[in-house]
Amino acid sequence: MKTDKAEVKIPTGGKQVPAKLAERRKHPIISKIPPPPVPPSKLKDYEPIVGRPELDELYFLAQKLQGKTVKMVNSTALGGGVAELLTSLVPMLNELGIKAKWEVISGKDDFFDATKAIHNALQGGEHPLTERDKQAFNANNEENRKRLVFEEDFIVIHDPQPVELVASKPGGHGKWIWRCHIDLSDPNPEVWNFLKPWVEKYDATIFSSPAFARQLPVPQFLFYPCIDPLSEKNKELDEAYVQEVCDDYGIDRSRPIVTQVSRFDRLKDPVGVVQAYKLARKSVDCQLVLAGGSATDDPEGAAVLKEVKEAAGDDLDIIILNLPPWSALQINALQRASTVIVQKSLREGFGLTVTEALWKGKPVIAGDVGGIPSQVIHKLTGMLVHSVEECAEQIRYLLTHPKVAAELGKNGREHVKENFLMSSNAKRWMLLFHVLMGLT
Amino acid sequence: MNNLTAAPLHPVKAANSPFHFNLAAYLVQIDRERALNLGELLEALRNCSEDSIFQHTFRTLQEHHFIGEGYSNDFAHWAHIARHEEGLAKELADVDIRSFTSIGDLRANIVQIVEEYLRHESASRDRSALKPFCFCSSETVVMPTSFVAYSLPDFTKALEQVSVHSIHYHFIEARLRLKLRTNDFSQWMDHELGMKQEANQLNDLDIYTSNLEDIRGQIVAILRRRVN
Repeated sequence: MKTDKAEVKIPTGGKQVPAKLAERRKHPIISKIPPPPVPPSKLKDYEPIVGRPELDELYFLAQKLQGKTVKMVNSTALGGGVAELLTSLVPMLNELGIKAKWEVISGKDDFFDATKAIHNALQGGEHPLTERDKQAFNANNEENRKRLVFEEDFIVIHDPQPVELVASKPGGHGKWIWRCHIDLSDPNPEVWNFLKPWVEKYDATIFSSPAFARQLPVPQFLFYPCIDPLSEKNKELDEAYVQEVCDDYGIDRSRPIVTQVSRFDRLKDPVGVVQAYKLARKSVDCQLVLAGGSATDDPEGAAVLKEVKEAAGDDLDIIILNLPPWSALQINALQRASTVIVQKSLREGFGLTVTEALWKGKPVIAGDVGGIPSQVIHKLTGMLVHSVEECAEQIRYLLTHPKVAAELGKNGREHVKENFLMSSNAKRWMLLFHVLMGLT
Repeated sequence: MNNLTAAPLHPVKAANSPFHFNLAAYLVQIDRERALNLGELLEALRNCSEDSIFQHTFRTLQEHHFIGEGYSNDFAHWAHIARHEEGLAKELADVDIRSFTSIGDLRANIVQIVEEYLRHESASRDRSALKPFCFCSSETVVMPTSFVAYSLPDFTKALEQVSVHSIHYHFIEARLRLKLRTNDFSQWMDHELGMKQEANQLNDLDIYTSNLEDIRGQIVAILRRRVN
């Protein structure tokens, strides 16, 4: 690799960054044009990854579901874990002979402001829900309810945004399922009571962790969200491409790279990650990459990004990347280039970025919240932390104990292969359809 | 472990009945019982469904089958991670599910361990854990695989290819169906192929210091020695 002799002093840590890299860090090359859509993978493409027996299980379960219809509804087509999940799941169900469709609700800014407040309040944040928010929420759900038709055998509503669509249930033959992807372990009572009457109308509910389940009169099932190992975000990459992405962002691969990939959201605690890095950096050399963006339903992102930049100060080894939603390949490359991956969430539904990191065999340090402990089994598949100081300590430990880091990464990948891949997810959906049809 | 050379080897019989490899798929249901302290855990352990005990012992071993050592059941894991009760965690981790042919007996054993612990550590009864233990159970669908064995070579070849879930189903869960301290593989090998010695060897394999892939390898190695 060519090195640049001109160097820039870094105020914190005393390390130096070549001027060329420093310049690239200030002005990373970020693609402004979305790449063409990638055709969905076929089931046979999964065979080298999950094995033939796993596919046989899917075909067996699909036998009694041939021709059944499913509608999945969520609030965003691009950005965020749910959209990624549905992008892979819907074609897979169709290939198995289940007629699955995906609809996205529409909404204006006032609706998404309200849903953001609801989202944060349900995850324990201090976000009061105003009467205006409630009106915007109700009106938007009603508009979407009039626009959409629900004639399917199974209607699956993802997350709180479209929860009121269940008002269309009476008179239809379909089974209604509410799939909650967020952490409901300690919701704001007022906001939960606002939504609960709607949730109780469903035939089944699904949570990402047992701890999220509420006292409800309807059955509650545990579904781990899953990643698609063949998606742009997770497929194997050429080393040359990984290097190219690092070059575009000014990342020095000759030094340890600590990365958190998350949208700029306070509940992901990006400022806490900066603080942990700064503590760790006192004793180990590393760079911090914070890669994120804003989903279309996340209006707070810009404010949080500003806070993160302020916390980073003028430390050139903190590389903050505000990436557009079409950056799946670049994020994949960043994760593969990383030495350690952090997900220091304060609240989390499940944390698919953790799953992605584990799948790539990376040692993960993550907040002990939400669905993360289902993935990160402390000291077996990763490290769980509860504070900035613990996070810093684990960064130091894993950067100086590469054998432990490698073992965690190896176990973590197996954990994902067993429990958190798209094929497992499709299997759970079909099992649920069996249960709701009384076939078990 | 038995010594292969200790007894004369008889020719392997032809099987009258083939071995059908099956497996079970599970959908986890979140139950109502929750425990934040050991008093609540004890109460829930006494009253939860048998499916729930199965889920947190037999099933969890399947879910974490890739970990060779360090994860034995959810109760032990909770005592360790959420309560830092290392003595209790060790006692619970030492529960070998293969010693039990009924969930009722397994439940009684776990209850006894917690009761005994609380007799000496009564202050732990009401002390809150960092996070609750949430009881779950599961809906099960048993399904056939495409693998059917009519002979020892067939069986060995199939065993190399089946899903680890099939190995869990026949090798670990089987005792609950058979009500015997053995497994489907050993039963078939003994009854259909006359391989009593190897059948016993399989029952000696340690499922807590090996992951299921290792177990597969160890079974195949035992069978290959006989084939050869």
